[in-house]
Amino acid sequence: MLKPKLISQVLQQATTGGVKATILLNPEGSLLAFAAQSDRDARIYGAIASNIWTIYSKHCKPEVGPLSFLMLECEEGKVAITVVSTMILCLVARDDVELGILKAKCEALTRHLEEPLSRVAGY
Amino acid sequence: MKKKVLLMGKSGSGKTSMRSIIFSNYIARDTRRLGATIDVEHSHVRFLGNLVLNLWDCGGQEAFMENYFASQRDHIFKNVEVLIYVFDVESRDVEKDMHYYQSCLEAIMTNSKDAKIFCLIHKMDLVQEDQRDKIYNERVQELQTRSLPLQVIPFRTSIWDETLYKAWSSIVYSLIPNVQLLESHLDNFCKICEADEIVLFERMTFLVIAHSTRVDNGDVHRFEKISNIIKQFKLSCSRTQGSFQSMEVRHSNFAGFIDYLTGNTYVMVIMSDPTIQSAATLMNISIARKHFEKLEGAQFSK
Ligand SMILES: Nc1nc2c(ncn2[C@@H]2O[C@H](COP(=O)(O)OP(=O)(O)OP(=O)(O)O)[C@@H](O)[C@H]2O)c(=O)[nH]1
Ligand SMILES: [Mg+2]
Repeated sequence: MLKPKLISQVLQQATTGGVKATILLNPEGSLLAFAAQSDRDARIYGAIASNIWTIYSKHCKPEVGPLSFLMLECEEGKVAITVVSTMILCLVARDDVELGILKAKCEALTRHLEEPLSRVAGY
Repeated sequence: MKKKVLLMGKSGSGKTSMRSIIFSNYIARDTRRLGATIDVEHSHVRFLGNLVLNLWDCGGQEAFMENYFASQRDHIFKNVEVLIYVFDVESRDVEKDMHYYQSCLEAIMTNSKDAKIFCLIHKMDLVQEDQRDKIYNERVQELQTRSLPLQVIPFRTSIWDETLYKAWSSIVYSLIPNVQLLESHLDNFCKICEADEIVLFERMTFLVIAHSTRVDNGDVHRFEKISNIIKQFKLSCSRTQGSFQSMEVRHSNFAGFIDYLTGNTYVMVIMSDPTIQSAATLMNISIARKHFEKLEGAQFSK
């Protein structure tokens, strides 16, 4: 089972140094847990991220393999999206955060969450 | 696994009414159409998979009663797990009720000495509200002295409110084998998903089977109220050709989920931490589903 508070704590640890929000979504795009300034922020970021992710995945040609990572540079910040087990993980950061550090944070979170999330994946 | 349950009491006390509401989807109003029960009506109610309640609804007219104590004595009173004796609180002839009740206890003592005995003081809705406590307490006191050396479990009931569900939940609870195991798993479930409370209902009757409470709610009548409300809601769903599946109620600092758990149960999960997302709780419910299916299979297949 998922321990919602524990997961939020893990996400909280990544939400430092210019990262504004760290969000975990289920495959349908519903919020599972997040660390962000407000509920509202998390919902909006989550909805956009899951939408982008789903559209990109759909258009990945089979010979390229499944989508594994998305980096977006926006006008007011940077976004990284990836999957952990079957869940979608999204980090939103300020403009001045380097893409490398964003990617490293994603990977650290993935290492942490992969095993527990894969155990609840099939549901 | 069959359990014999005797339902007794004088004619018109409300035995068939309560049975029909709890087990046959009647609403209270429909019971006005019921006729007197002739002799004994048997019904088998499948409860939690392999547990079968074998209900003996014994017509309470005097001719039948005399028969139960004479020629049918062994047949009626053997192998009884639970005796439910229903008293009409408005009955004019209390002495006669007591006489039959005591004959019944005697027969139980010789034929099924380990049977549990529940006494329902029924139709409490007919008593003025400010008199209810007083009258009920007097009746219980008298019943307890008259029942000695047997111990009885008393309830006040009415088909017009949730008290019926409280009594029947306790009755059914006493019949479930190894219910503590179920409760300990429910405790775990409650702890892991950080719920305030989790309640397990039987699917058809919506009686409460077990619960796990981490944060107390204060309303001691909440279980039977919810049984009553959701059962009525479920019935009104089926009248519009829909079948009740699940519901979620949420406001800023409370969320309640009711969803099916196993083939035989529904679960209610109460959360008061607004930071925990619905999707996470729903996912935990579906994870628990598999676990409880397995548990139920193991528990009731023997
Ligand atoms: N006011 C009130 N009426 C009730 C209640 N329960 C049952 N009744 C009514 O009592 C009447 C008789 O109920 P039955 O269930 O047929 O009684 P019974 O105990 O099965 O009677 P026998 O089959 O003859 O033994 C019906 O008209 C019911 O509507 C109650 O809680 N309050
Ligand atoms: Mg009857």
